[in-house]
Amino acid sequence: MTHILFTISTAFMLGLTGLTFHRTHLLSALLCLEGMMLSLFIALAMWSTQNDMMIFSSSPLLLLALSACEAGLGLSLLVATSRTHGSDHLQNLNLLQC
Amino acid sequence: MVMMVVFSVMFLISLIAVASNPSPYFAALGLMIGAGVGCGMLTQFGMTFLSMILFLIYLGGMLVVFAYSAALAAEPYPSAWGSLEVFSYVVGSLMLVVVMWMLLVNDFGAFDEIEGCVMSVRRYVGVSEMYNAGGYMLLVAGWVLLVALLVVLELTRGFGRGCLRAV
Repeated sequence: MTHILFTISTAFMLGLTGLTFHRTHLLSALLCLEGMMLSLFIALAMWSTQNDMMIFSSSPLLLLALSACEAGLGLSLLVATSRTHGSDHLQNLNLLQC
Repeated sequence: MVMMVVFSVMFLISLIAVASNPSPYFAALGLMIGAGVGCGMLTQFGMTFLSMILFLIYLGGMLVVFAYSAALAAEPYPSAWGSLEVFSYVVGSLMLVVVMWMLLVNDFGAFDEIEGCVMSVRRYVGVSEMYNAGGYMLLVAGWVLLVALLVVLELTRGFGRGCLRAV
């Protein structure tokens, strides 16, 4: 396994473990999702360049647009929960069963 | 080559800093450093235009919104990487990454940088080919962004649901 491949896949796995383990805030989970999207973006860009297929280099742009949509929706959910429930603690959301 | 290894190690460290469950301010700081270092990695491989797009989107657009939301979800006693719980996460994931690096990585040279060749001149077409090849899908992505805007407006609407809170 090369060094770059190891770096990108390990960054993705780190974001995934950070998402699945115990989180106190909803915002921390969203930041972990953003980190996963960042590693996927770098992986797609390096894939299209290292295989010398520049015709596929618009796929990281598409991924970036979709990750911007995802971040916006997650933040709006965060704003909605903090308006109705007072805070964004995940334990609070579990306790209130919402 | 050396810059490539330095950038990738800094990228892993910043992802550990995000994933080790600190307060959201510090996690946003780690993600910002990770985005900057990722731009450096892409530039080392010759993709200057995609690196610029990543820089603009992440550092210019997204992290302003994240800073606003971190102020919204504020807490009185934030925990940085020095506190005990977060520090145990950091040390554990760092040891795991180092052991996996020693076990798995055996090749440094398969991906090497392109010397003096940036994306805008590559195969003489570069950015225009990128926009030409995925043009219709990028148009669809623009409409997806518009739908996401409407959904965000619908989710955050409503005077009757909110209440005043002391942040």
